[in-house]
Amino acid sequence: MAYSDKVIDHYENPRNVGGFGKEDEGVGTGLVGAPACGDVMKLQIKVSADGIIEDAKFKTFGCGSAIASSSLVTEWVKGKTLDEAAQIKNTEIAQELALPPVKIHCSVLAEDAIKAAIADYRKKTGSESGNGTDTAAE
Amino acid sequence: MRLRRIVPRLTMTVSVAAPAVISCWSCKGPVAARALFCSVCGAVQGPGDIDHFTRLGLGPGYDVDLDALDRQYFGFQRRLHPDRFAAKSSREKAFSQQQATALNDAYETLKDPLKRAAYLLRLAGKPVDLNSSATISDPVLLMEQMEKREAIAEAADVAEIGALIAEAEAEVAGCQKDLSAAFAANRQGEAAQLAVRLKYLLKLVEDARSRKVRMAGR
Repeated sequence: MAYSDKVIDHYENPRNVGGFGKEDEGVGTGLVGAPACGDVMKLQIKVSADGIIEDAKFKTFGCGSAIASSSLVTEWVKGKTLDEAAQIKNTEIAQELALPPVKIHCSVLAEDAIKAAIADYRKKTGSESGNGTDTAAE
Repeated sequence: MRLRRIVPRLTMTVSVAAPAVISCWSCKGPVAARALFCSVCGAVQGPGDIDHFTRLGLGPGYDVDLDALDRQYFGFQRRLHPDRFAAKSSREKAFSQQQATALNDAYETLKDPLKRAAYLLRLAGKPVDLNSSATISDPVLLMEQMEKREAIAEAADVAEIGALIAEAEAEVAGCQKDLSAAFAANRQGEAAQLAVRLKYLLKLVEDARSRKVRMAGR
């Protein structure tokens, strides 16, 4: 299958590969998988005190489209509020990368990863101000 | 994937329709639904509506004796060889081809540890689609797989990769044992989870092997 130039660019020069400490302050971690291809995707966000995503990192073991989708999402979410980032749709990712129909699920995985990271961050910060018993997110 | 041929003997209680007796299309005599040929007139029969285990003359369950599976399959296929039907009617030619196709399908499904698990779940009325694009978020499985894939990516030499391959293969064998126990105890929910795990473990082995090939080629 022929990959688009944008997929190849993100695949060959992935942005923001790596990770933050899961327990670090302001870090939300999303870990999702696609059993159909045996893909694993970890996407992390670092959120500032005023609720802006300052930085994002990812690590993906999967095909070129899965790597490109997660790389693109880490670029997109930087500077966004959590609510803005939560609105990213897989269709926008698929369109930007010109993913063929058989690879649409890679963009779904990236959308689910950012949503999971936001949920993890909210759970973490919510529990800090709450009763403090629910600190381990994973 | 190298398949383990030694598997624990466990019985299981998947409900499989009892082999019905139907009548031969040619002589109208009684013939078992799984029979390839009528025992009265010898005419080849069309493939009946039976499960893959019955079709290949094996008991239902996750533990399949792969030698017996091969013996059954190749034995049946020999009897269906097109040369044997060169002089037969077009109806018999068509039936023999349909039988061969049905046997292929049954064999490919039962031979593959993952397809076999998915098939048993389907028979049990709890189908799981291992090829759906649905996302999973099982943190234990995903964290473990992430770490193992990282170890493969970071392995320094062929020996290290070889050890990781051996480890992953042992996990595949262990997962198949767990699947067998789950099916034997009718724990389909657990079996479905184990099937997803098996899918990831097989991917892990594949990933490690291709890394080894690339390493050795340098």
